[in-house]
Amino acid sequence: MASHGIARSAGSGVRSEAARRIELQQIETYKDLVGLVNTKVAERQYTVEVLALTTKLLTENPEYYTIWNHRRRILQKLLSDTAPDEPKFTSDQFIEQLITDDLQLTYKLLRGFPKCYWIWNHRNWILRNGEALLDAPTSRKLWLGELQLVSKMLQADNRNFHAWGYRRFVVAELQRLTQADEVPPEGPSLTESEFEYTTKMVNTNLSNFSAWHNRSKLIPRLLDERKADDTARRKLFDDELSLVCSAINTDPFDQSIWYYHQFLMSTLSPDCPRQSQIVLSHSNQDRGSYYEHEMEYIRDILEDETDCKWIYEALLTIACSYLEVSVGTNPFTTSDMHDWLEALQRLDPLRKGRWDDWRRSLNL
Amino acid sequence: MSLVSGPGRGGVAAGLPQELSLYMDKHVSYIQSLDRRKDEREYWLTEHLRLSGLYWGLTALHLLGHPDALPRSQVIEFVLSCLHENGGFGAAPGHDSHMLYTVSGVQILATLDAFDELEARVQGGRLKIGQLVDIAGLQDAETGTFAGDEWGERDTRFLYGAFNALSLLGLLHLINVDKAVGHIQSCANFDGGYGTSPGAESHSGQVFTCLAALTIAGRLDLVDQDKLGAWLSERQLKNGGLNGRPEKKEDVCYSWWVFSSLAMLNKQHWIDGDKLANFILQCQDPQMGGFSDRPGDMVDVFHTCFGLAGLSLLKFPGLIEVDAVYCMPRAVTKRCLSK
Ligand SMILES: [Zn+2]
Repeated sequence: MASHGIARSAGSGVRSEAARRIELQQIETYKDLVGLVNTKVAERQYTVEVLALTTKLLTENPEYYTIWNHRRRILQKLLSDTAPDEPKFTSDQFIEQLITDDLQLTYKLLRGFPKCYWIWNHRNWILRNGEALLDAPTSRKLWLGELQLVSKMLQADNRNFHAWGYRRFVVAELQRLTQADEVPPEGPSLTESEFEYTTKMVNTNLSNFSAWHNRSKLIPRLLDERKADDTARRKLFDDELSLVCSAINTDPFDQSIWYYHQFLMSTLSPDCPRQSQIVLSHSNQDRGSYYEHEMEYIRDILEDETDCKWIYEALLTIACSYLEVSVGTNPFTTSDMHDWLEALQRLDPLRKGRWDDWRRSLNL
Repeated sequence: MSLVSGPGRGGVAAGLPQELSLYMDKHVSYIQSLDRRKDEREYWLTEHLRLSGLYWGLTALHLLGHPDALPRSQVIEFVLSCLHENGGFGAAPGHDSHMLYTVSGVQILATLDAFDELEARVQGGRLKIGQLVDIAGLQDAETGTFAGDEWGERDTRFLYGAFNALSLLGLLHLINVDKAVGHIQSCANFDGGYGTSPGAESHSGQVFTCLAALTIAGRLDLVDQDKLGAWLSERQLKNGGLNGRPEKKEDVCYSWWVFSSLAMLNKQHWIDGDKLANFILQCQDPQMGGFSDRPGDMVDVFHTCFGLAGLSLLKFPGLIEVDAVYCMPRAVTKRCLSK
């Protein structure tokens, strides 16, 4: 219904009578199954058998959100009344089995429907509910498994925003569990390993803005966690700048990289919120020298790439930031700024109105 | 009553005329035909979207200047058959209530000027719908954001849904608007955009929902308008279409979310409108009617609605004016919001 990327010619022209009969038969079978599930749930038959019927229906149609709700109604019942006379061991096993079954089902469905909100949502629900019933090590094991699942999903589509969102959620859950633990787990913290993960992702593909974005969110936390002093913070900032600058040099036409560069530059601003800051103690002198250094580097690239609009936009943006902190003599002239705007207007006519507005606001 | 089913059939991708025109009559009959496809499996597999499908189809017809192309009383009948005791709407009779369909239900009733009929059929109906959002506790008291239903999935889409439906019903006072606005701010990123939740990547769909909610709340002053405008303008690709995030493909539905966001910021001129119109027109099926996500793909009613809404916002001749915040005819939102 909201179809994406399906060629129009793929739509059948006229069905043969035989094909039509088969389709009508399929419709009847499907409607029977829907009717059966709805009836059983209305009768509150919250049993393992009805659970299996919802599995069958959801496998055919994972977008049918009401059936996911039915499934949760059944699971709530099954999870809450594991027979009191049974030995605890058996009921624990039963609970774990129910949870892992749902993890397997949703994993299978996500492979086919990686952008279906309802499946991601159900996975989240089953884990959160399972956590209340399982012992801490088992819960942790399950949540850790989620990181591997998400990595697989991101291998298939490295921009899937459901998967990135879920990844951040899983990390937050695991960190919450760690805080509750008496003995902290060994090895590097999750913030560290997540930071490493984004390094790996951007090294595989510089155009992966989702990974750059996550990196921008991890860095301030990473530094706080490391209790980094000013020197360490400056070192990391400089490392990030040189990483992104060499990426710009590799492909100055890739906007993902420029956005990350913009992010780093934005942390220099006095208006940068604390939770996004990298270096906490920039003076205007510092800012000025960073702006100057970046301009110099970008102007060098300009010599080989005169037709890349991102270069001109970056130069102009940095020039504006420079003027805001205004220290010493500008490393550029008004006529430079004028030329950069001219270039933007020439190279990027789609956004003509934006360049016109910019020219007016800068009085160029 | 269903308009959700099916991509259109046939349609030759090649051979579009150089001068692109809008095939208005074809689109009207395409939408009318959607309810007659009960012999297709797709019709049944999309039942969970029916009420939204009806909203997309009805809105498209109104923008095309054919508000009566669907029988009004039958539409109202169907909408009310999806209303639950808790004040929420499900996608179809027998489907659970959810914010997404509650918004569609309210939007349809508003478009048809049918709040009086709602009251006549369900005593205190408007307040009841409003209270789904309030009493059922869909707003998170701590963070101000909204869940889609009792099962708790949270997302800025649902926050916008609550603002949309409650403002049309004249019941915005039922929720904590300031808290919700604070939550939107916590979803803002360095590029001026917004994500699904704090920490999430900027995404055009979420930019639309956050910006529209802030517009309804009268708080556009909180937006970094130049930065966000710049990010939105970079969504336009050489072929004129707009994408949802950096380095993604163009799409008619994202074209609407991005362009309507630019309109809320008064920056429509930051992209090339003629090229965008051309891109949307290329996504029509000239034979059978309807719009697809990209030229040559299958059409559906979702992209048909957003394609026409985009053209309307571009002031394409012959179309009725659309409201960028609500994706409904401007005359309808004017009527509802002035009450
Ligand atoms: Zn689309």
